[in-house]
Amino acid sequence: MPCLPYALTRWDCEMSLLSVRDLRLQYGPTLIQEHIDFDIEAGTIYAVMGGSGCGKSTLLKCLIGLLQPAAGQVLYGEQDYWASNEATRNQLRADIGVLFQSAALWSSMTVLENVMLPLQVQDTLPQDQHEARALEALEWVGMAEAQDRLPADLSGGMKKRVGLARAIVARPHLLFLDEPSAGLDPISSVKLDRLILDIRERTEAAIVIVTHELPSIYALADDGIFLDADLKRPIAHGKPTQMRDTVMHPTVQAFMRRQEIDTL
Amino acid sequence: MLTPVPQAITLLGDTLLAVWRGIRRGWQFRPQDFARILADASARALLIVLVVNVLVGAIIAFVGAVQLLKFGAGIFVADLVAIAISREMAAVITAVVMCGRTGAAFAAELATMQANEEVDALTVLGLNAVDYLVLPRVLTLLLMMPLLYLFGCVGGLLGGFAVSSSLLELAPIAYFDRSVAALTYTHLGLGFFKSMAFGLLVSLAACFHGLHAPRNAAGVGGATTHAVVTGIVGVIALDAVFAVCADALGL
Repeated sequence: MPCLPYALTRWDCEMSLLSVRDLRLQYGPTLIQEHIDFDIEAGTIYAVMGGSGCGKSTLLKCLIGLLQPAAGQVLYGEQDYWASNEATRNQLRADIGVLFQSAALWSSMTVLENVMLPLQVQDTLPQDQHEARALEALEWVGMAEAQDRLPADLSGGMKKRVGLARAIVARPHLLFLDEPSAGLDPISSVKLDRLILDIRERTEAAIVIVTHELPSIYALADDGIFLDADLKRPIAHGKPTQMRDTVMHPTVQAFMRRQEIDTL
Repeated sequence: MLTPVPQAITLLGDTLLAVWRGIRRGWQFRPQDFARILADASARALLIVLVVNVLVGAIIAFVGAVQLLKFGAGIFVADLVAIAISREMAAVITAVVMCGRTGAAFAAELATMQANEEVDALTVLGLNAVDYLVLPRVLTLLLMMPLLYLFGCVGGLLGGFAVSSSLLELAPIAYFDRSVAALTYTHLGLGFFKSMAFGLLVSLAACFHGLHAPRNAAGVGGATTHAVVTGIVGVIALDAVFAVCADALGL
């Protein structure tokens, strides 16, 4: 894997792009998950798996700076996000892209304006290149022709693709995708999976994907973590196919083989 | 019940800091968004503000005339309407109308953005929701409410004039003279200042409830309701405070 220029710290090729250390997530006094540990290398697709309500999206919120953990560290390179000051956090955030579950396109802006905004905020490119870069990202996801449309005029799959274009437009080294296939028909879902693989090829970004869609997990993930809603901690790590074949925990088996626990 | 109070005070503080940041480093919000919000809260609100204030002016004139005519003081209806409208009613009624119209729209829009994770998307980009979403709305009502108040004053005076000249058979010139004599800078200044305060209150209440709404459809409805209730009750309570203060200051 080539060494990428990391905008923020003294990250080098030997260092994990993102490391999570003994993370504990709570909403007020309610424990969501604890003892979460993993590392993500450049160019890998890492799946965060688990049943509905187990805390996958909560973990994602913590990783992208929306929810402070009760304990533990989120390290971007060697920089602890939650121990950093606001200026450093802003720098760290400039190197991540996020596709939200609902795509989260800003409804008052056109598709092109949505995709251009990250470039305008970061202001690292000359202004006259913003539009060209945004159009390039829209072409990657096959949405260039919709550049002047408003989000309200787009289908769910189209919104996801525009959201993906917005996430990659600033060429981040880390992409976070929250349930990218949720609400999509199987054909659109497969297309989106292919698009994610294509984006990984083009950008060499590490991708964290939060999902419980089995076909997407098997098609995309190189590595992953399985969160258990009852034990409130991870119960398996590794490549999804290995997890399916080697981890005998009934919840993991039921999830990875799409069966009821009683039938195992 | 008082749990949101510290959060509301925090929002007020954040807004003041956002104004300071905006003055020093430039505004973070998009001019297009500000223009859209401004247009919606000004030109598109003129008709409803005018209609309501005309009616309020007419009602004051009618109620006042019934009493004043008993004492042969019908001409003082003009004073009553001018003072009541400029000092109290135009500011309060305009604020109530804007609370139900624009405040509700602000709250619904922000609550929907919250439910759709649009606010999270801004935060991840490093944009502050207060700088980007709250400030243009607060500035809009802070700027537009005084102008709408003046427009409301004109409407209220016209309503009073229409009733007085038609039903009470007061000479238009005499009514006009009395109205001009009664309209002092003190009354107009007080109403103007109050309308700015009401604009701040209505916009902050709307933004607060919008940004703190639960992330679902019911949350959007709840945010809108709470924004309107908080705004209207707040405007009336604040007006009472202004009345006491104005009295204490001899205004």
